[in-house]
Amino acid sequence: MSFLPLAFSAPLALIGLALLPVIYYLLRITPPRPRQIPFPPLKLILDIEPKDETPARTPWWLLALRLAIAALIVLAMAGPIWNPQHGGADGKEPLLVLLDDSWAAAPTWEQRLKVALAQVDDAARQGAPTAVVTASEGAREAVLSDASHTAQKLRALKPVPFLPDRMNLVAPIEHFFTEHPRGHLTWISDGLASGQTRPFAEKLAELAKNGEVEIVNGERSPLALAGAANEASVLNVNVLRATNDGPQQGRVRALDLKGVQIGDAPFAFGNATETQARFDLPIELRNDIARLEIAGERSAGAVTLLDERWKRRRVGIVSGATADVAQPLLAPSYYLQRALQPFADVREARPGIADPIGALLDDNVNVMVLADVGVVAGLAHDRLQSFIEDGGALVRFAGTRLAGSSDDLVPVALRRGGRTLGGSLSWDTPKKLAPFDRTSPFFGLAVPDEVTVSRQVLAEPEAGLPARTWAALADGTPLVTAERQGKGMLVLFHVTADTTWSNLPLSGLFVDMLRKILAISADTGKTDEDATSAAKQQAATLAPLSTLDGFGALGPPPSTAKPIPANFTDVAGADHPPGFYGPPDALVAVNPLALDAKLQAADFSGLNFRREPLNAGEPIDLRPWLIAAVIALLIVDALASLFLSGGVPLRRQRRAAIAGLVALFAFGTATMPSFVVPARAEERAQQISPRDLESALTTRLAYVVTGDAQADEASRAGLTSLTRALAARTSLTPGDPVGVDPARDELVFYPLIYWPVVAGKPLPPQNAINKIATFMKQGGTIIFDTRDALASRPGGPMTPEARWLRDLLAGVDVPELEPVPHDHVITKTFYLLDGFIGRTTIGQTWIEALPPEPSDGTPRPARAGDSVSPIVITSNDLAAAWAADRNGEPLYPLVPGGTRQRELAIRGGINLAIYTLTGNYKSDVVHVRDLLDRLGH
Amino acid sequence: MLTARVLTRSESATAPRHQEGALALARRLPSLVASAKELAASVMHGVHGRRRAGTGENFWQFRPFTFGESVQRIDWRRSARDDRLYVREREWEAAHTIFLWMDLSPSMAFLSSMARQSKADRALVLGLATADLLVRGGERVGLLGMTRAIAARNIVERLAEALVVEDLRMSSAGHPDFPSDEPLPQRTQVILISDFLVAPDALATRLRCIASNGARGHLVMIADPVEETFPFEGHTEFLDVDSGALFRAGRAEAYRPDYVARLARHRERVRNAAREVGFSFALHRTDAPPATALLALRGRLEANVDIGAVA
Repeated sequence: MSFLPLAFSAPLALIGLALLPVIYYLLRITPPRPRQIPFPPLKLILDIEPKDETPARTPWWLLALRLAIAALIVLAMAGPIWNPQHGGADGKEPLLVLLDDSWAAAPTWEQRLKVALAQVDDAARQGAPTAVVTASEGAREAVLSDASHTAQKLRALKPVPFLPDRMNLVAPIEHFFTEHPRGHLTWISDGLASGQTRPFAEKLAELAKNGEVEIVNGERSPLALAGAANEASVLNVNVLRATNDGPQQGRVRALDLKGVQIGDAPFAFGNATETQARFDLPIELRNDIARLEIAGERSAGAVTLLDERWKRRRVGIVSGATADVAQPLLAPSYYLQRALQPFADVREARPGIADPIGALLDDNVNVMVLADVGVVAGLAHDRLQSFIEDGGALVRFAGTRLAGSSDDLVPVALRRGGRTLGGSLSWDTPKKLAPFDRTSPFFGLAVPDEVTVSRQVLAEPEAGLPARTWAALADGTPLVTAERQGKGMLVLFHVTADTTWSNLPLSGLFVDMLRKILAISADTGKTDEDATSAAKQQAATLAPLSTLDGFGALGPPPSTAKPIPANFTDVAGADHPPGFYGPPDALVAVNPLALDAKLQAADFSGLNFRREPLNAGEPIDLRPWLIAAVIALLIVDALASLFLSGGVPLRRQRRAAIAGLVALFAFGTATMPSFVVPARAEERAQQISPRDLESALTTRLAYVVTGDAQADEASRAGLTSLTRALAARTSLTPGDPVGVDPARDELVFYPLIYWPVVAGKPLPPQNAINKIATFMKQGGTIIFDTRDALASRPGGPMTPEARWLRDLLAGVDVPELEPVPHDHVITKTFYLLDGFIGRTTIGQTWIEALPPEPSDGTPRPARAGDSVSPIVITSNDLAAAWAADRNGEPLYPLVPGGTRQRELAIRGGINLAIYTLTGNYKSDVVHVRDLLDRLGH
Repeated sequence: MLTARVLTRSESATAPRHQEGALALARRLPSLVASAKELAASVMHGVHGRRRAGTGENFWQFRPFTFGESVQRIDWRRSARDDRLYVREREWEAAHTIFLWMDLSPSMAFLSSMARQSKADRALVLGLATADLLVRGGERVGLLGMTRAIAARNIVERLAEALVVEDLRMSSAGHPDFPSDEPLPQRTQVILISDFLVAPDALATRLRCIASNGARGHLVMIADPVEETFPFEGHTEFLDVDSGALFRAGRAEAYRPDYVARLARHRERVRNAAREVGFSFALHRTDAPPATALLALRGRLEANVDIGAVA
C-alpha cells in the first residue's frame, strides 16, 4: 500500500516510462518545421555553399511539453485509480464475503456492492476462490467459485425489506471454516444490533480462530420510520436511528395511495436517536395518507405504510322518519350528513331497507347516529347493544318519536313528553346554552349567543345526572348527555338534528360538537374494534397485494410472500414482506418495523476483528482525465509548433488561433465524462408579434385582407367608423380595427371578423381554411359579405361571389343557416332592428338556425341559441355603408340612399358586434319581466 | 519577432492612397524647378528662364527697333516716351521632359515588420511626388513606356490612372522588372525607381541603350531594411519572390556576412553601371521617411543640370 491513495490497474504499462529518454533524444534532433520567409534579394546568396546545416535545437519548453504528453499517455495506459478499494485477502486462502442485505443496507447498497466486488476482484487477482453469502439466505451452503461467478452473483443481489436473523448463517460459516481454517471472511455489516448481531459476532470469532475476519461497517446509521399514529389533530411518526452521527435533520414525506405527495414534515434529531415528525394537516388529507417515507432515504425501513386502521371514522346515520325523504333538505339526516362529511365517512342506510341499523352495522361503522328513532327493538337492539359494548359509539337525537317512547339505549332516563319553551302556552322564552363545564369534552368550544332551544326532551333528575351531562341549557337542564357502556359510549342530544326544536344544527357549534364526539369515539374504540373484526374473520387470510422491496419501492409481491392472517400484528419477515395485503378496498398494511421499534447500533467491542470503514471515497478512474489532459496538451503543442514555424505571424490570425484553441479546449473538457451536462432543452422562443400582443389586450374588430385594394379600404374605413360608433354609443370601446390574413395571422384574439367576398381572388390555402373552421368552432364569428345584393336574383343563377363563398365553406363545418328571424336575439342586442342593411337594402342576411320555437310557451320576444352564431352571411355590403372619413362624411353612395339608411346600417353593425360579445344574454334580459312574474308566484 | 511578407496583388495595386501620399509629400517641398542645360534646341515653353530673349511670358528687355522687323513687335507704350521705337523682348522659357519608371515587379511588393511601407508603395509615392513637383515647376512628365510627357495640373491622378490601366493589363503577365530599352531622346531625363535586384550586367546594357541618344537619368534604389541587415536567425527557409526558388538555411545567421558582402558588391556594380552612362545613383531605405528621398532626388535633378551646365 503506497502512501498515496493511487493504484494502477495495469501497472506493467508503466514500463513505457522507460521510453521517455528515447523520446527525449528523438525530439531533440527533430526540430520543428522552419519558418518560411519570402526574401527578394535571395538570388544574391542562392549559390552559396550550404554551411552549418545543423538545425537549431528544439526549444526546451517544447521538449518538456512533448515529454509530458508522452508521460501522460503512458500513465493513462497504466489505468490509474484514485482511492482504490483494498481487498482484505492476501495469499491463496479462499475468501467468503458475508453481505448483510437487510433494508438497513439499502441506502448504501451500491457502495457495499462495490466494496464486495473489490474484495472479490482482489482475491481473484491472487488466485483465491471466493464465495458470497447474504444474511437473508440463511442456511444455504457457501459455494466457492471463481471471481466472475461470484461477481455475477453479487451483482444480482438486492436488499430485502426486513431484518433477517443472522444465526441461520452459523452453519454455512462453520462449514467454511472447517474446510478452510485459514480462510478469510469479510463481513459487510449493516451496523444494526437487530438480527442477533452480537451473538452471531461472538460465534463468528469462535469459528474463525485461525482465519481472518474483517468487518466493513458503514459510518452512517440508517434512518427508519415507525409507529405512525393518526391522533386528534396531527399525524405523528417516529423517526429512528441507531447512532448519533449522520444527518441531524430531514423531512418525512406523506403520500397517498397513488403516490401523490400530500405533505411533508421536518424532523431533527438533536442529540437523541429518536424523534418525531408531525403532520399538522386537515383530517381529510391525513386520512388519505397511505405511505410515509423519509425523503432521500432509500430503504424499506424508511417507509411506513398506513391502512384503514389509521383512517377516519365511519359514521352511519339512521333517521326515524320515513316521510323525511319527501323534503330531503329539511330532514335531520341532511343536517347530520353536512356536519359530519368533512371529517368522517358518512354512511346512510338505503331508503326503504327493512333493517337499516343492521345494514349499517354490517357496514362496520364506528359511530352510529340515530336521529329521532323512538324504540329500537328486537335483533337490531341486541346488535346495537353489543356494538356499544364492543367499543362503538351511539349518538342519538331526540324528536317527537323519542319524546313519545324510548328504549333503554339512552344515557339517562327521560321524562315523557318533553317541554316546550316560548310556545303559545309557555311563559318562557327559548333558552340559550350555558357555557360548557370543565369536565365536559366540549369544554373549550365557544358557545354562540344565537343558539336557542325552544323544545327538548327532559331527563329525569337522578343521581349522577350532572356527571353525564356534557352540555346544558342556561337554566341547567341537560342538553347533551352521555354514558360509557362497556368499551363504547352512548350520547344523547336532547334536541332534534333538524331545526324544528332548536337552531343548534344551523350553528358551527353543532359541527364542532360532533367532531369532538367522533374524536372521543376514536380514542375509545380502536383496539377493541380490531379485536372484534379479528374475531369475526378469524379464519380469513389476506393475500399480499403489493410489497416493498429493500429500497422501499412498492411492487408486485415476490413469490415467497405468504398471505397473512387477518389479525396479523407482527412485523414483516421473510414470509411476510412489508406491504399491503388484502383486497384493494380494505388494505392491511404490514410494516418493516414494529410500532414501538428502536434502532440499536451493533456492538463489536472486544472481538478480534479487523475493522474497515465502508470506504467513503469512491474510487476514481483517472484515465479520462489524463486523456483529456493529453488532448489539451496536444492542442497546445500544435499551436506552439505553428507559432514556431511562423504560421501565425499576424495578430488577427493569432487571435483566431487563440479562439480556436479555446474552443477546442472547451470541447475537450466538455467531452470528459464528469463534465457532461445534459443539454438544456432548447427553449422555444415564442414569437409573439406586437400586433398579437395588442390584440390580446384590446378587443378589436378585424377584417380579412382580400388583396383587392378597394374592398380592403372599404373594410378598413367601415370598421373604423363602426368602432367609433361603438365607442360613442355603447360601453364597448374597441381598439383600432385590424386587417388579418387567415393563412398567416392568429385569429383567436378577434371576436368578430368581417370578410368581404371578392370573387376574382384565389381561394385561401387549406391551412387557412382549417384555421377559419377552428376559429368558428372556438366561438368566433365571421361575417361573410358577398356584396352582390344588386346582382343576384332569387331563383336566378348563382353570382360569382356566392360561388366563391360556397367553395370556401366546402371544407368548413357550417351549421344549418336560416334568414335572420324577426325574433332572433341579434335583432335586439342593442337596437331593435328589422334586418341588417348596408349599401344595399334588399339582400338577405343568413345566420345559424335557431332551435325550433317551443310550442307550449307563450310567444317570446326574442330567441337565442346556446351560443353565438359562428357565421353571418350577408350580401348588403355592410362595410361600405359604415365607411366614413375622418370627419364622419360618408365615403360611398348608398342604394337607394339617405341618412336613415346609413344610420340603420350602423345600428346593424352595433347589434352584430354586441351580439358576438354578449351572446344570448340579451334574450334573458328581454325575458326579465316573465322571470320576475314567475318568481312572484 | 521579425516578420516579412509579400503583399497580395490587391494590396500592391496602385490605389488612391498613393496619390494622396504623393500629393502630401510634394506639397511639403518647394517647387522644384529643374534647370535645363541645353536650351537652344528645345522649342517647348517652360518656366526655365533662359536668360536670353525668346518666347516666354516674362519681360526680358526693351531693345531698339531695327529696321526690317515686323511692325507688330513694336511696344508702342514704351516707344511713346521718346522718339525712338522699342521692341519688348520676353525671356525665352522652355520646358524639360522627364520620364519616370517605377518598378512594380513582385520583388517590390515586399514588406517587413521593420519597414514603414512596402517597397512598391514607397516607389509609387516617391515617383508620383516627383512628378507633381516637376509639373508644378513647369516640366512635362511621363511614364516611361506608358504615357507621353504631359504637363497637366492633375498629373498625379493622370499617372496613377495610367498605372492602374497598366496594372490591369499586366495582371496576367506580371510587371517586368526592367523598363523597356528604347533609347530616349536627347535632353530628356529619366528617373528609375526600383530595388534593382537584377543582374548588374543586364542593367548596364539597358542603361547604355536608354542613354544612347544622350538622355540623362537618376537611379533610386529602394531597399527594405531587412534586405540591408539580414537579421534572420535560426532555422529558416527563404523563398525567392520572383522565381519561387527555396533556400533552406540551418542557421540563418551564418549567412549574414556573406550576404552583406554580396549585397555591397551588387550595389557597387549597379552604381558603376549608372556612372558609366552618367546617371546618378541613390539608395533609399523604406524605414526612412520618403521626404528625404524626394529632397535628395530634387537636389540631384538640379545638380545634374548644373553639372551639365558647367560641362
